[in-house]
Amino acid sequence: MVIEESSTPDEQLVEATLAGDDHAFAELARRHKNRVFGVAARFARDAAELEDICQEVFVQAYFKLRQFRRDSPFEHWVLRITTHKCYDYLRKRRRDGPAISVDALLESGYEPRAPEPHAPHPDLERLHAALAQLSPKERLVITLLELEERSIQEIAGLTGWSTANVKVRAFRARAALRKLMENPS
Amino acid sequence: MNDPRSESELDALFASARERRPDTSAVEFAFETRLMARLRSARSVESIWAKVSWRMIPVFAACVMALAIWHARVIADTDEAEQVAYMENPQALDSLTYLN
Repeated sequence: MVIEESSTPDEQLVEATLAGDDHAFAELARRHKNRVFGVAARFARDAAELEDICQEVFVQAYFKLRQFRRDSPFEHWVLRITTHKCYDYLRKRRRDGPAISVDALLESGYEPRAPEPHAPHPDLERLHAALAQLSPKERLVITLLELEERSIQEIAGLTGWSTANVKVRAFRARAALRKLMENPS
Repeated sequence: MNDPRSESELDALFASARERRPDTSAVEFAFETRLMARLRSARSVESIWAKVSWRMIPVFAACVMALAIWHARVIADTDEAEQVAYMENPQALDSLTYLN
């Protein structure tokens, strides 16, 4: 089946993918990767982890495409998968303990990246350090609420939590974050 | 009671962090190509497992039948051994009835 991909609606691309057209799924990935990368970049530690998260999101989307109900746009569905994948990564990171030492990294052949063109703001560094210390649930909810500017209802839809639960977690996350910013030790 | 100053400071930091969206363009470059390569390899692994599991069905069935035959024989041998033991020494087995 040959389709004009740039103007084809997502639903038609989903149908084509289910019929075995891989190009249709590549087009879906091309269309939605920017949003997926945007959300995942708030949680990933480096470019390699970001690539891993995003690939896992689209691999899961591909293999579970039959479960996609057409009652909401494809983008919402993919962002829900992204949110769950980011949460899984946060939990895995917490379970695995602190990141490996610099010595171990250098021994494994890692080369430090060139410095970023814009020097990061020291207060923002403090904010990111505090965010990294929050529990996975707290970090997820505060990032979606404050950095991604999602509403409570949207977060509830993305995470599968109730709106009351999201509100409580957001309140606690903010309090924990404030405490960490005031007493970084 | 929350300190309003720290609250507004936190809000300002969030606003600043929102403005500095991470630049992901380098990682996004040719993402679809890498993704489709990964999907192809994932699919081939999945299809190998599917083929192997279908082909193993007769082997599993044979194992189950062999186990069933072996189990039936063990039970038959046990019954026979008990009967022989009883015929050779009935008192010894009768004295164990208190265990029941």
